[in-house]
Amino acid sequence: MFRYIVRRLLIMPVLLIGVSVLIFWMLSLLTPYERVALYVRDIPRRQGAIDELIAKYGLDEPIPVQYWHWMVGRKDPDTGEVRGGILRGDLGWSQVGRGSVAEAIGRRLPATVELALWSAIPLIGIAIWMGIQAAVNHNKFIDQLLRVFAITGWSIPTFVFGLLVLMIFYAKLGWFPPGRLSDWAMRAVQSPEFQRYTQMNTIDSLLNLRFDIFLDSLRHLVLPVLTLSVINWAFLLRVTRSSMLDTLRQDYMTTARAKGLAEKVVIRKHAVPNALIPVITVGGLTLVGLLNGVVITETVFNWPGMGSFLAQAALTLDAVTVLGVTLFSSFILVFGNLVVDVLYGVVDPRIRLE
Amino acid sequence: MKTVRRLLKNPTSLAGIILLAIFVVIAIGAPRFAPPPPRSRDAYMIPRDGFATEPRPPNEKHPMGTTEGQYDIYYGVIWGTRTAFRVGVAITIFTTIIGLLIGSISAFYGGWLDEILMRITEIFMAFPFLLAAITLTSVLQTIYGRGEAGPLMALAKVLALITFGQSPAKEMDPVQLQILTGMLAIIFFGWMTYARVIRGNILAVKQFEYAIAARTIGASNMRILFRHLMPNAVFPVLVIASMNIGSYVLTFAALSFLGLGAQRGYADWGQMISFARNWIPSLANYWYIVVYPGMAIILFVLAWNLVGDALRDILDPRLTGSRA
Repeated sequence: MFRYIVRRLLIMPVLLIGVSVLIFWMLSLLTPYERVALYVRDIPRRQGAIDELIAKYGLDEPIPVQYWHWMVGRKDPDTGEVRGGILRGDLGWSQVGRGSVAEAIGRRLPATVELALWSAIPLIGIAIWMGIQAAVNHNKFIDQLLRVFAITGWSIPTFVFGLLVLMIFYAKLGWFPPGRLSDWAMRAVQSPEFQRYTQMNTIDSLLNLRFDIFLDSLRHLVLPVLTLSVINWAFLLRVTRSSMLDTLRQDYMTTARAKGLAEKVVIRKHAVPNALIPVITVGGLTLVGLLNGVVITETVFNWPGMGSFLAQAALTLDAVTVLGVTLFSSFILVFGNLVVDVLYGVVDPRIRLE
Repeated sequence: MKTVRRLLKNPTSLAGIILLAIFVVIAIGAPRFAPPPPRSRDAYMIPRDGFATEPRPPNEKHPMGTTEGQYDIYYGVIWGTRTAFRVGVAITIFTTIIGLLIGSISAFYGGWLDEILMRITEIFMAFPFLLAAITLTSVLQTIYGRGEAGPLMALAKVLALITFGQSPAKEMDPVQLQILTGMLAIIFFGWMTYARVIRGNILAVKQFEYAIAARTIGASNMRILFRHLMPNAVFPVLVIASMNIGSYVLTFAALSFLGLGAQRGYADWGQMISFARNWIPSLANYWYIVVYPGMAIILFVLAWNLVGDALRDILDPRLTGSRA
């Protein structure tokens, strides 16, 4: 167990350095002029002034040297102030975000986390429930139905699904509007008497005892949560189903039945807990699905989070911002995968012995 | 052959095959189903009927209506089928070649080379795929926007040759170049699965007698790898790859939807749907600007997934025979 975790921890820095090298490689494809935003907030218009900045921050030096400065930061020769350096949490300056990239991410992250957290419940819960139903009714009608459902869900692009539900539930019926809050609620949230503890509207409104705002933010969450869940269901459903099928064939299932246990107990107490072990590994992939899904979902629903920010920055070719957001997301993913792997080792004794 | 027969017997995969056949017919017959206007320079640019902003509902002249800017939706859906096949197939070819090369070299030589190549593969897998693709597309568009010649331009020319049949001697068309940036980004972050699968397969067949026999009679490394090992290990990879055409089209459509793939007015399903973003409050009236191109993507991807799902079951030995 200990060795397993140590091995996972040792590979982490390799992955993180590798990710940073790839990101910097993309930066190095750009001209020094386009890289100035790594160190400078307001890029001057005058050519001569930009050239001075390039010399000042060494943006024409050899790439490995530049990589080093990008990692640890670079001292301003005039003022002695250190600028840049992703290890210092400085990802450069964003033209789209009108401020530092790190700040812009920080400002938009709560909206994305709120969306992801609300999606996690229906996404994981319902997918696992459906997977178990499919396996228990193997090759029967429900199984086939869920299979067709999963394949169809897998084939619908996120943005088409999002636009279709907006068409029905917003444009036609007017039930669930896009955006994060209605105008009146937005004003209330921004007023001084409203305490913003987490920047997540659903939690903050409860803490402020403003149930009307809570309901309003829920109303805005329904469609994006639905979209994120449906597009990610298919995969999780498949894994749960096949893992459950494997478990149902084990000898201890026969033993449990031979003991005379009711079929319900056999499934619930003996099969499901064991079948869910492999499902944990998919947690990492679900995180990927969420990170990917959030870009499109937030764009479609006008949700002011990190995903729509990335899409916006990519469209205006604001490379420093785009690369900063992707670097940040990849780091989240690497850490998420580590947690999943360690968790897997803790839950499943077979892994530890290998 | 047995596999094909089983695919045709299974109702879901049969539905998929029929759908695919229909799409192939539409793609081949595009000039017949939707003839380009007599003086059009590029048949892939959707003809416009005026320049009014507001979409118009289906009528006699435009059976699926016109979207924002009066682009004919029917024409775009038909010619978009060709774009989907071209983009999907070209991406599949390139990702498979890269994956096969890296995976087979890794497995064949083993040792530290294997270690390094597999760690690199893991690093590529550490990125969230769509985010990485968006990022690289955006960077590549900045670079290609400068129009300089160089290794990246040469790469784009090779891809243009495979995708559009564009001769490398000709000047790059900026409309095509923008599509190629999205494709290159997907290829760059899309080869890892194939590398891993072929590596596993080569490691398995490397142990067989015929591989040892080939080595004993003094065959060269290249000959052993490409004549003896590859043919016996490559089939599952090719199957997986061909079934991924649908998901590549899906990803490319997402890039187009965000405005990073095909240009405005190009016959591409994702690009056509991106117009709908400007009309969300009144989508109930303008349903046709989402539904028609949206159905085209869904059915296209669904067709590949239906066949792929059945193939996976057939090729998975655990599910065949008495145990299933």
